[in-house]
Amino acid sequence: MKPATMPTEELMGSGHLACQGCGATQAMRFALKALGPDTALVIPACCWAVIDGSFPHSCIDLPIYHTAFETAAVVASGLKAGLEMRGDTKTTVMAWAGDGGTFDIGLQSLSGAAERNDDFIYVCYDNEAYMNTGIQRSSSTPVGAWTTTTPVTNYKREPKKNMIDIMAAHSIPYIATASTAYPHDFMRKIAKANTFRGTKYIQIFAPCPTGWKLAPELSVKMARLAVTSKMYPLLEITDHGQKLEVWKDFEPTPIAEYMKAQGRFRHLSDAEIAGIEKDVEAKWERLLAKERMLASIPGL
Amino acid sequence: MKKVIMGNHAVSYGVRASEAQVISAYPITPQTHIVELLSEMCGNGEINAKFIKVESEHSAMAACIGASAAGTRAFTATSSQGLLLMHEMLHWAVGARLPIVLANVNRAVGPPWSIWTDQNDSLSQRDVGWFQIYCESNQETQDTVPQAFKIAEQLQMPVMLVLDAFFLSHTYEIVDIIEKEQVRKFLPPYNPEIKIDTKDPHSFGNLAGPDMYMELRYMIQEAMEKGLDVIKKVDDEFREVFGRGYGLIEPYRCDDAEIILVTSGTVASTTRAVIDAMRGEGVAIGALKIRVFRPFPFEEIFAVLSKAKKVAVIDRNISFGCHGIFFQEIKSALYGRTDIPVLGYIAGLGGRDVTPGVIREIAENAISNKNPERYINWIGVKR
Amino acid sequence: MIKKVEFKTYREMPIRPMTVGDMLWNLTGSWRNVRPYYDFKRSPCIVGCPTSENIQRYIQLVTENRYEEAWRTIIDNNPMPAVTGRVCFHPCMSNCTRGEYDEPININAIERSLGDMGLENPGWMAKAKATGDKKAAVVGGGPAGLSCAFYLARAGYPVTLFETDGALGGVLRWGIPEYRLPNGTLDKVVKAIIDSGPITVKTGVKVGRDIGLDKLEKEFDAVFLGIGLARSRSMDVDGEDGEGVEPGLSFLRKVNGGEKVDPGKKAIVIGGGNTAMDVARCALRSGSDVTVVYRRTVNEMPAIREEIEEAEKEGVKFEFLAAPKEILRKKGKLAGIVFQRMELGQPDESGRRKPVAVEGETIRMEADRIYSAIGEQADLEGISEAVETEWNLIKADEATGQTGRKKVFAGGDAVTGAASVVEAIAAGRKAAEKIIRIFTGRAESGEAEPATVGIDDINTDYFSKTRQTKMPRIPVGRAREGFGEIHTGYDAALLHREADRCFSCGVCNYCDNCWVFCPDVAIMRHENEYEINYDYCKGCLVCVQECPRNALSTREEGK
Repeated sequence: MKPATMPTEELMGSGHLACQGCGATQAMRFALKALGPDTALVIPACCWAVIDGSFPHSCIDLPIYHTAFETAAVVASGLKAGLEMRGDTKTTVMAWAGDGGTFDIGLQSLSGAAERNDDFIYVCYDNEAYMNTGIQRSSSTPVGAWTTTTPVTNYKREPKKNMIDIMAAHSIPYIATASTAYPHDFMRKIAKANTFRGTKYIQIFAPCPTGWKLAPELSVKMARLAVTSKMYPLLEITDHGQKLEVWKDFEPTPIAEYMKAQGRFRHLSDAEIAGIEKDVEAKWERLLAKERMLASIPGL
Repeated sequence: MKKVIMGNHAVSYGVRASEAQVISAYPITPQTHIVELLSEMCGNGEINAKFIKVESEHSAMAACIGASAAGTRAFTATSSQGLLLMHEMLHWAVGARLPIVLANVNRAVGPPWSIWTDQNDSLSQRDVGWFQIYCESNQETQDTVPQAFKIAEQLQMPVMLVLDAFFLSHTYEIVDIIEKEQVRKFLPPYNPEIKIDTKDPHSFGNLAGPDMYMELRYMIQEAMEKGLDVIKKVDDEFREVFGRGYGLIEPYRCDDAEIILVTSGTVASTTRAVIDAMRGEGVAIGALKIRVFRPFPFEEIFAVLSKAKKVAVIDRNISFGCHGIFFQEIKSALYGRTDIPVLGYIAGLGGRDVTPGVIREIAENAISNKNPERYINWIGVKR
Repeated sequence: MIKKVEFKTYREMPIRPMTVGDMLWNLTGSWRNVRPYYDFKRSPCIVGCPTSENIQRYIQLVTENRYEEAWRTIIDNNPMPAVTGRVCFHPCMSNCTRGEYDEPININAIERSLGDMGLENPGWMAKAKATGDKKAAVVGGGPAGLSCAFYLARAGYPVTLFETDGALGGVLRWGIPEYRLPNGTLDKVVKAIIDSGPITVKTGVKVGRDIGLDKLEKEFDAVFLGIGLARSRSMDVDGEDGEGVEPGLSFLRKVNGGEKVDPGKKAIVIGGGNTAMDVARCALRSGSDVTVVYRRTVNEMPAIREEIEEAEKEGVKFEFLAAPKEILRKKGKLAGIVFQRMELGQPDESGRRKPVAVEGETIRMEADRIYSAIGEQADLEGISEAVETEWNLIKADEATGQTGRKKVFAGGDAVTGAASVVEAIAAGRKAAEKIIRIFTGRAESGEAEPATVGIDDINTDYFSKTRQTKMPRIPVGRAREGFGEIHTGYDAALLHREADRCFSCGVCNYCDNCWVFCPDVAIMRHENEYEINYDYCKGCLVCVQECPRNALSTREEGK
């Protein structure tokens, strides 16, 4: 057998309570493999509050602190401070929250922690809606999507919040996006994040077959198409928000291939999808322009 | 060393002496001096602690939760709206069994905006499961901080100490400052067996089914019930080192009193002056200060009040649609003793002065009131 | 711990709501309604290979630097990859799935690399000792005979190999020019085969003339005839016999034997097969202006495509739709040839369109040499009397080579007519296998053939489009000047670049995708395989979807 393509140690075990094909669960497994056993987690209300298992059982062989919805970042701040006061400077603290807990209710405490540049990795596993509560729209839900609070008669008209720019405005040392379809890229980014001191923000696209009305086996495929359709650019922001690198080395795929596989977009007409594609393309061009612009500023 | 300091700074000195390791707070009047002085102490090395300057009180408590979960001594201070914003996390600290200490400066809740004292902020947190200790003087305030940590850490329960806005927080009194070297004899370093530790990993607070939740709540109640003895024992141990103690309650001239006024906070001091005056006039009157509100010392209170003929409770708070909050608790402490009428008085809300005159009015009303039909009497309302 | 933690009373519980056990008690396999399972299928290259080389496997072994195992994998079906890696018409590559995506894997070049490694590492070849109580005779030292002898000897049966010529190799030696297959390479191949087991070689013995087939039948327990097609077919045109007109094979035999040849100033080669190409290119190298004349078009030419292209690049001219009609002589000396103009009619039994004469239209070409390469035939002297023949070919069972005479087997061109080296190798091997089954009394294994994977079964998301890695070669200009080998072979980097392109259709190559993407940690990664833990597999089928090569299948639970 060839050498393993990722660390073989499993810090997340079987028997957990995730749905079939859960991207958030894959993401957790990858992150823990990248970080190893010197890791403590903070998990607010989100799917992972349930996936972990039922008291007194946990599927993860690491310390986890479950906390209230809006407090992932600041509990991580407190935990890190406490560990350091105890003389433990080795343990990496990772806050692990969904998009609701990050883009919406947790934004304030995340902003506070990021402004203080408290030392932890914050991972938002982005499944683009409140999935644990039964698929309600969040500010991460993309335009056009169905959720239980954006029914097909009144689907979401507003674009997804640009959380990356918000985080970049905090001048933290490291920001990245990732996708469950590219686990090695994600693991590299997690490991890279861990080399910086301060607040590191990684947002991983993690498909939710249940919430997207998607066949579970297409979970990874959607995570891939989200990237290749430019819906979800993979990028890294370093130098405290001053340097942007966008991954471009892929064969572009049409957005329709991505959207038509998912029930949450089934109500959209071809014309509407074409409109979304135009918008995505424009955003992509702006992103690349920004990358060039930042690269052109001397002294960085 | 004795110093003339404000009540807020008494808290700070208590925290310094207790060697808290992580402090997290958000500014709010009239609490702010507590954390200002603590910031300075952190800055100049008087205390070896990390101070997390959060963006809200909700986060202040959340940060304390993280720090305490890591196995360190965590402290925060707040008041009024801040305490209310913390509410969710107050529950969390209890359910998580974390020995966090919080100093709350009693301030009225808006609107309208009011920065002056009353107890509705802390008493509306009555049922979250925090220990609540109401302080009367700056000395007691300072001394209660290390006591609070010791109680909290022994029981793995959070403790709130409460002081009146301005009447205590901003009032300068002589305080015998305690130092960490002395306090160490009383309060050992905090090193819990269970904490966030990669060498002994546990997941804290994940989903518990109906088959498990109730037992965890039962254990919190058990800790509360044990708490009364622990508070007394800790108070005794404190007395051994520092020569001062405060008890669960503090009866004043109650032994032969036919009528007893029940108070808390700074009103207790004023009340004692009125008692002395009325005793001089031949009235068989006494006063009972409630120091520990949660856990509620039913037996100790019953032992004092059951010898009286009548009880009057002065509440600087109101549970709308019901009564004064202390009044309800005293009534239930005297359950079965229908022969002892209990009268409730609401006074001093929003920082209105509870002067000796007000207390005398209450006492006289209670004495003259032969058949109390109204359990709630508002004192000084302009009608 | 698999056990669920239960508390009888609250006193057993931690005061904090914290976990003390894992979730392994929760057997989430019960959620599953469809079951994934590893189900290795067949790569189409293997199906395309006449001798069923396990191409997928040896290419994957190359990617893991396991060259010796890779070489052994070939040897199980073909004892001379250094030969086929040079001369094979590689139908495997026409079948390659990757060909439907970008360009097929250059299997031929990979095979040659491994074949050459085998020659450089003689120790890789296991030496078989005579252990069998039966012995066999093999007639003909060409690819069919060598193959048959090799597999019989490998099984421990002593073999006596009879060859008419002075050296072994058959058509490989006298039919294929050195620029395609150097004699030195062939010598090593032959030696490796002969040295691999109890093979006694008798050269210069023509069975049917020097020794009777019936005598062999008496002396040996089995006889294999791999006598090939050693005679050129005649063109049946006026003036064919005489100076200046020569069978192509005879010319090639001289060239390959190092004899001095004189192909004149202007040579015409008649025919469209590999022999025609070989003759044309040899004549070109010997200084002649060469035109190949074929009666159909380039599309119908049976020669290997690359050979036609090479010939053209080197300067060989082509004339299509022309059949020889009359050879012209002036004073007994060859002067030229008249061709009948042809056109394509209805397809014949081979599927190719049949050439028909265009009435009254002829062309005339000057020439001082004419080489006929319109086909070869078997030399059945002393053979046709003993075994049944048809159309001047030996009649034998397609799958086993068995003839009407129980102990006599046959294979290769003498049975099939002009075919390929690899088909001859396959026939020799299959006959050997049948002979061994008869010797041992063992029955044929009746394993069902697995399904073959096609492009639609491949998850091409995992492959970016790449070009095929061409084998390095000497420039055409230099190639046409001599008989040195044109293609020089891959180096290690090129070999890996090309091997890494292989999809490994239908067969796991441990890419880890299933294991990586399983959200339920239900795929166990063992030393040499993956295993699905059905206690926990929830049946999401991400593993099946993300397998790039369709090595997993599904079935509904309870069915």
